Amino acid sequence: MNGSTILFGLVFYPIIGALVSYLIGRYHKKARDYFADFITVSELICFLVLFYQVAKGTVIADFNWENFCGRGIHFSLDGFRVLYGSIAAFMWAMTTIFSKEYFTHYRNRNRYYLFNLLTLGATVGVFLSADLYTTFIFFEMMSFTSYVWVAQDERKESLRAAETYLAVAVIGGLVMLMGIFLLYDAIGTLEMSKLLTACAAYENKARLYVAGICMLFGFGAKAGAFPLHIWLPKAHPVAPAPASALLSGILTKSGVFGILVISCNIFLYDKTWGYLILALGVCTMFGGALLAVFSIDLKRTLACSSMSQIGFILIGIGMQCLLGAENALAVRGSLLHMVNHSLIKLVLFMIAGVVYMNLHKLDLNSIRGFGRRKPLLNFAFLMGALGIGGIPLWNGYVSKTLIHESIVEYILELNGAHMVNMIPLLKAAEWIFLISGGLTIAYMMKLYIAIFIEKNNSKEEQQRFEGMNQKYMNSQSAFAIAFSAILLPVMGFFSKFTMNRLADLGQGFMQLEESGKAVNYFSLANLKGGMISILIGVMVYVFIIRICLIKKNEEGQLIYINAWPKWLDLEELIYRPVLLKIVPFIAGVFSRICDSLVDWLVIFLRKTIYRDRKIPCELPEGNIFTHITGTILNFIYSLFHKGEKKTGNNSYVHIAAVKREEIQENAMIIQRSMSFGLIMFCFGLCLTLIYLLYLK
Amino acid sequence: MNQSIMLLIPIFLPILAGIGLLLIPEIKKREKLLAIVAFFLFATGAFVVNAVLNCNSEVTLFHLTKTMPIYFKIDAIGKLFVSIVSIIWILVGIYSFVYMKHEKEEKRYFGFYLITFGILVGLDFSSNLVTMYFFYECMTILSVPLVIHNKSREAVMAGLKYLFYSFCGAYMALFGLFFLSKYTTTWSFVPGGVLDMAAVQGHENLILVVAFFMIMGFGVKAGMFPLHAWLPAAHPVAPAPASAALSSIIVKSGVLAIIRVVYFMIGADFLKGSWVQYVWMSLALLTVFIGSMLAYKESVLKKRLAYSTVSQVSYILFGLALMNPIAMTGALLHVVFHAFIKSTLFLVAGAIIYQTGRTKVEQLSGIGKEMPVTIWCFTIVSLGLIGIPPLSGFISKWYLAIGSLQSEIMVYAWLGPVILLVSALLTAGYLLPITIKGFLPGNEFDYTQVKKLEPSKLMVIPIMILTILTALLGIMPNGLIQYITQTIAPLL
Repeated sequence: MNGSTILFGLVFYPIIGALVSYLIGRYHKKARDYFADFITVSELICFLVLFYQVAKGTVIADFNWENFCGRGIHFSLDGFRVLYGSIAAFMWAMTTIFSKEYFTHYRNRNRYYLFNLLTLGATVGVFLSADLYTTFIFFEMMSFTSYVWVAQDERKESLRAAETYLAVAVIGGLVMLMGIFLLYDAIGTLEMSKLLTACAAYENKARLYVAGICMLFGFGAKAGAFPLHIWLPKAHPVAPAPASALLSGILTKSGVFGILVISCNIFLYDKTWGYLILALGVCTMFGGALLAVFSIDLKRTLACSSMSQIGFILIGIGMQCLLGAENALAVRGSLLHMVNHSLIKLVLFMIAGVVYMNLHKLDLNSIRGFGRRKPLLNFAFLMGALGIGGIPLWNGYVSKTLIHESIVEYILELNGAHMVNMIPLLKAAEWIFLISGGLTIAYMMKLYIAIFIEKNNSKEEQQRFEGMNQKYMNSQSAFAIAFSAILLPVMGFFSKFTMNRLADLGQGFMQLEESGKAVNYFSLANLKGGMISILIGVMVYVFIIRICLIKKNEEGQLIYINAWPKWLDLEELIYRPVLLKIVPFIAGVFSRICDSLVDWLVIFLRKTIYRDRKIPCELPEGNIFTHITGTILNFIYSLFHKGEKKTGNNSYVHIAAVKREEIQENAMIIQRSMSFGLIMFCFGLCLTLIYLLYLK
Repeated sequence: MNQSIMLLIPIFLPILAGIGLLLIPEIKKREKLLAIVAFFLFATGAFVVNAVLNCNSEVTLFHLTKTMPIYFKIDAIGKLFVSIVSIIWILVGIYSFVYMKHEKEEKRYFGFYLITFGILVGLDFSSNLVTMYFFYECMTILSVPLVIHNKSREAVMAGLKYLFYSFCGAYMALFGLFFLSKYTTTWSFVPGGVLDMAAVQGHENLILVVAFFMIMGFGVKAGMFPLHAWLPAAHPVAPAPASAALSSIIVKSGVLAIIRVVYFMIGADFLKGSWVQYVWMSLALLTVFIGSMLAYKESVLKKRLAYSTVSQVSYILFGLALMNPIAMTGALLHVVFHAFIKSTLFLVAGAIIYQTGRTKVEQLSGIGKEMPVTIWCFTIVSLGLIGIPPLSGFISKWYLAIGSLQSEIMVYAWLGPVILLVSALLTAGYLLPITIKGFLPGNEFDYTQVKKLEPSKLMVIPIMILTILTALLGIMPNGLIQYITQTIAPLL
């Protein structure tokens, strides 16, 4: 072990803390809750101190444990890593504080806390990792420990969703491992700092693409990229809210982290790769946004929204590759959108948690009107909604604008280079981008209006909702939500001081050195994109959601109809049948045949040349002599009677055997009576002799 | 004391003790029997340690014919194998002190258990082909009583199947042995092979056929397709500790025999690039796949684990077949890791049977609530077997896959890792549901029915030790890797 042990501490401190908290929890539940708070908050403080130091440029830390797991683990700390570590620690601290109230009525809380803290350690491990081997180790740990989050409440649908989550994680992990094998075999190193030069020197690009796609599969599965997004809309609604916040805010980002590592090192400025990521990003972004519009389940909407936002980030990453060295806009945009999305989803999922904690329901018709007369909740949700909707002055606007501008810039560049054939595609991407931004606004409006403005269809429910205006959450939860929410407008309003600096800090990770020209976020050109999105959003809400997705029921009340396209569920439609039925069936039949090959051969031989027989020459009756005599007599008989055969009891074999038995029996009788007679005779003789000799 | 005697003691002490145990009349007091067995187990263990650390001498026990000595010597591979044998045999022995309580005729079981221990030590120490073959056959025959212990019709049939398959394999090997004698300079094991190249000249194809027969023959014990069917038959009927020993140790002696034949008699250079290598690799990969697939489809826990053994041991065979140093390191690492992991899994399966009588996977819902420590161990080693870092199975898989890719043998180079990963996925598919159902039985589960069923300490402690070894060897494997790298350096 060498290097700064603080990095080692940051990863293993929560892991050890997890075990300790488990032990504490067996004896004292309250103490365990506070202990978990303590662990996460102290982790956060550590990170903030480091953050401060890194920002000042005083610390660049590195840590090596050579023998761990064979090849050793390697952590390092740079701007991006410390930023994401801090965000992770922050989210964990907030959700852990919030968990205390949320989990009051849950069973198996001790288990939750154990795996929660373990996952913190693993996630920090992923973000600090400086080689892909380390990344993989902690990534797998993270996948398995976070499984318990999804399955926590053990309902049928939770277990099923958890199964999906685990399956995606395991398959993703294994495919990623294959990619790492191939990469290591190709270039002989997994150090992120050496990847760039090693890959540039490697000739067989096709092999690198295969390796890259395998790794992309693994990381993309975790990030929730299309078509492996299936776990997101399943797992989020059933997981406890603090866990959903972390799943969507930070675990998906660990996948994005991996994609960044690949894109910015192995395929730096690679156009083909850029188009691939861009295409994935567009599908993910638009698909997620569309699903979110149709969904009427609060957490599922947020989950689909997460998927969609990951799509925005992927587009940013794709543009990084496409733009080549001049990619400052894309780099900063995708980085900031990662940060923004983490923070926003933290707030929104905690609010969903408050709703669920009070009502144990999530569908919009039941929770409608819950937020009325709850100013704090209202404020927090509004901040989140405005942030994610990309409304100017809120944080999401900045990052979305940057990504949008990067697409525009690339279109200009293509125009300049007279590569006209790609332009329509990118134009389409730009418009889908704007439309998806609009859909984001539309579904957030749908949620906001349903929860905070409209009244519930049932009067009593509405009264109950409004009656609980002080008691719906305790002060600790309120603190966690309010504190997280206040960050969003602060970042948006003071974007020059906050977001620009964050971008400066993190961009080195993506091989971007200079900060580029300062972007005026509120110039007319930049506002235009945002405004188009807003316009589309409002139109979609007014003309599509209000008209098509809200219907009157028999009593004339407006209800949200569930337009969730069930039949479009890739998991039920393709993955489950193929992976659980068709492939195992075919492979199973094949394996069974192979398995019993030799057994069948043995049976075949026993039925043919090694036929089971009686002991040789053992006859059913009689002995060899009677058998032969009988057979001959049978033969003679059949000669004289035109081939008619004697069988069964009439056969001479049988008759001879019976005769022999009779003879034998008689002989026995005779034998026995003779010998008996002889003995008696002898006995008599003896008596006579004794008499003659002694008694006479 | 005389070094050569120190070498022979660990072989013959348990054999004599076992025979003695079989001959003496029934011991009334159970504790007394166990004390005797424990004494001999530990004594043998101590002598093995002593022999491994201190003995450099070689012993010729006697000559079968003038040119065929029975001859012992400890080399690096032998040390590796004998260490695993001793650790597992002692731990499983301790476990069976409790487990065998619910089987009859413990004396007979422990008698044969001790004898087999000695035979295995002899197998690992033997230093020429004849000696090895002798101990190999002894092992086959003397482990049959462990399989057919409960004397049910099913067990006897399985025992016979085991015998027939083993003999079938052994005769194939014997056939090879006869032919080989003409073309080798000596019977002894020499790293790199002992082929007499002058004699071989012009008979290369014959030697290849011979090599193939010997690999197939010894491969029967290692459960290689197509002669693997004895494994899933014999394991479920044997008492759990016997299956653990069978699956982690006896199966590995097939691997050892193959290593001896390929790397010490014929020589890897001779086989590299020949059709034997390709066929061997194909069979190993096929076995990896069908083993996992059948395990995935199987519902009896012990049978599932047996199929899993079929698949996992072929990881090792695949690594050996590649004949390159990295893959071979992976293979030997997997010998160690699989021994620990699979014995733990079988011991846990036994603990479940002993405590609850449940044998099918679908009956195990909520088992984690009843025996938490045991099922935690099960979970950890399952993850190890799947190959989740930082547990040990990951390390061996890493070496196997990288070795395969670097060997650049046509399609096998990448097909190997792909099949290993598919098999890992299936491993996850057949092991994880047990854990998941065990710990997360669903919210309809009746918690009032949960009884504390944690088995007694003598059962749990061996399981825990093996689990900890699995984890520790995963986190810090470098000592072992270094040892193995040195061991195989002269072989390739």
